[in-house]
Amino acid sequence: MAIKNIEIIVNPPAPHFVGDGFRVHNFIPSAYHLDMQRMSPFIMLDYNSKFHFPPSNEPKGVGVHPHRGFETVTIAYKGKVAHHDSTGNSGIIGEGDVQWMTAASGILHKEYHEEEFSRTGGEFQMVQLWVNLPAKDKMSPPKYQGITNDQIQKFTLPDNAGEIEVIAGEYQGLTGSASTFTKVNLMNAKLKKDGVANFSFPAHFNTALLVIEGSIEVNGKDNVGTDKFALFETEGETFEIKASEDAVVLVLSGEPINEPIASHGPFVMNTKAELMEAFNDFNVGKFGYLED
Amino acid sequence: MAILKTKPHDVLDNFKLYLSEKSDLTDAAIDELLKDVRVEVIQKGDLLLTAGDVCKHAFYTEKGLLRAFTVDESGKEHIIQFAPENWLISDRSSIYFNEPSEFFIEAIEDSKVVFISAEFMGMVSEMSSKFRKANDRALQSHIHQLQQRINQLLGATAEERYLTFIQKYPDLLLRVPLWMIASYLGITPESLSRVRKDLAKKNFKS
Repeated sequence: MAIKNIEIIVNPPAPHFVGDGFRVHNFIPSAYHLDMQRMSPFIMLDYNSKFHFPPSNEPKGVGVHPHRGFETVTIAYKGKVAHHDSTGNSGIIGEGDVQWMTAASGILHKEYHEEEFSRTGGEFQMVQLWVNLPAKDKMSPPKYQGITNDQIQKFTLPDNAGEIEVIAGEYQGLTGSASTFTKVNLMNAKLKKDGVANFSFPAHFNTALLVIEGSIEVNGKDNVGTDKFALFETEGETFEIKASEDAVVLVLSGEPINEPIASHGPFVMNTKAELMEAFNDFNVGKFGYLED
Repeated sequence: MAILKTKPHDVLDNFKLYLSEKSDLTDAAIDELLKDVRVEVIQKGDLLLTAGDVCKHAFYTEKGLLRAFTVDESGKEHIIQFAPENWLISDRSSIYFNEPSEFFIEAIEDSKVVFISAEFMGMVSEMSSKFRKANDRALQSHIHQLQQRINQLLGATAEERYLTFIQKYPDLLLRVPLWMIASYLGITPESLSRVRKDLAKKNFKS
């Protein structure tokens, strides 16, 4: 097995606000080298690096908006988010939890800081990742996997090195908690200082990592610091992460979906005509209705 | 959580395409014309025209979103027009009659705007008869839109106004607050919510 090396390390781009509740660095698709085709099936990654929100009686967040053609995955590291959608689902994504929402044919939702968190304020840190769907599944019915931290499969690393939370895919024979449409690996490596974890993914999978906490050394040579994103080459299979200090690292690797992408705002389809249809369907209420 | 941003345009890709589609000028001639054209990058909330001033330009939205509105005596805003990418917005009569405008024109997103003077229009029309014809057609089409708008504001139901609006501006519902759309339609925000709720009831199949 050949070593998979880092192709590029990307510093967090200047943050912007999504609604008034999410202060995010957009890595995918707007950072250099991280466009949708290169990163497929990962078509968007917004990272709310650790940010202190002051107390607010009015929960901050994003109002009602639609999605079609892909899945949204929200990983909460600090803080809590309350969400509601047009299929009647609602819930709270707490610290350590993951929400895997398959928007597919269309859903309306809104996301706000959970009320109690909003009132007290505090540190907020989240990742939102969009996972593309293959053309044949884009119009499948919406569904929703709320995965609390205690439901996430955890692999204990030898030598007291820490653990791997397998959100989706597989690590050392342990299968992740979320079901996916294509081959997607998504995991949090929670490593103690000097702890080592090894990963192996097919060479052609698009593979990357984001350092949430601490700093790491990859393959014994590349240092990647807090909030930095590392993209791997599409050659080689295995790589090693060693924690330079206690670290949390989000690792993502997925089989590329080799289909055309037509995207605009919250819709990601294969053709321009499908995009126009998405706008029209949303405008005439085919996504349902959700009160702001 | 995230709303994707459209890619920033390094150059005037949209305006160039607009000129080449409407005229029979060569790319080189268009590039030459663009050298002297005024382009401004403006921020959300910036005004391009203030009521009481004479409008000197038509504004072409290369990127972003503009709106024209009036303010009545009670201070209430009434939206006359939106101008997303590839739209022109101005007070034509203020330009033509050299009279103070009643409109404000404002950016509702950070925008890149091409300032088009009457001289520029005249010059391109002299260079290209195709452009002159296209420009005449644009004026007729503008009048057609205004007639339709007057008729709808006087006699159409809220739903009919909404359905015309989404044909004209397919992506605006995702870009502007609902109160602005209600203002454009001449209905209350509550009435707009009701229309959208009723449509969803009719069209949503879970």
